[in-house]
Amino acid sequence: MASVKPQRVETTSSQVLTDDAVETVRPWNVLVWDDPVTPMKVVEVIFKRIFGYPNAKCTQLMLTVHNEGKAVVWSGQKDIAESYCVKLQVAGLQSTIEQP
Amino acid sequence: MSKNKMFIKRRDGRIEVRLNDAGRNIVYEAFGHVVAAERDPEHDWHRRLNAPIDPSSDDDNPLAMLTRQSQISTNAELAYMTRNEEFINEQEAWAWLTTMQIALRETAASNGILNDEKWNSADIELRSQIQTLQAFLFELAECF
Repeated sequence: MASVKPQRVETTSSQVLTDDAVETVRPWNVLVWDDPVTPMKVVEVIFKRIFGYPNAKCTQLMLTVHNEGKAVVWSGQKDIAESYCVKLQVAGLQSTIEQP
Repeated sequence: MSKNKMFIKRRDGRIEVRLNDAGRNIVYEAFGHVVAAERDPEHDWHRRLNAPIDPSSDDDNPLAMLTRQSQISTNAELAYMTRNEEFINEQEAWAWLTTMQIALRETAASNGILNDEKWNSADIELRSQIQTLQAFLFELAECF
């Protein structure tokens, strides 16, 4: 009767992923900054037209800008954030992008 | 109720502009300033109209900057061209709103009004000019 010996498989490389291997894409934020003269209603209308957000969200974002000096109005891919930022600047709001 | 309104949205979607001559002169001047500021690098407002998109970067995306410049100019020129119209369509009204908003913000910024304290201490004539633009903008925004 032939005996069957279990074969040992040698491994030399680790299968554990390092931090470098796991690529995470941090989103870009579109910020709108407060100024002392822009009417609140105008800010809401601009948010609605550019982002298509519901009225309640536009109001809430406008109040955040007013009370806290700035608000993150959108987050995501850089090229889209840049495009939204340009639209907001074209509409006369102070806007920038940042990657936190 | 709509007697005293300066902008009235009609059923066909157009917006009736009921500004008197003085009001027309104010928007005429505001639109003209934005057109000039985009064209003239020496204009007081030009640098702020070309503010950074990403302040953390040394250079902004040139395509985004070009798009911004082109869209501000297009809106300002459309607003300027339609400044004497009795009725404006929605696209023209958007051009009026965005161009007036730029003029409002730049009038304030170029006079150092960057916070509530400065606003409260600004001279009466300047405050009156800014409040007029704010009133026009508020009413026009109600039409959207």
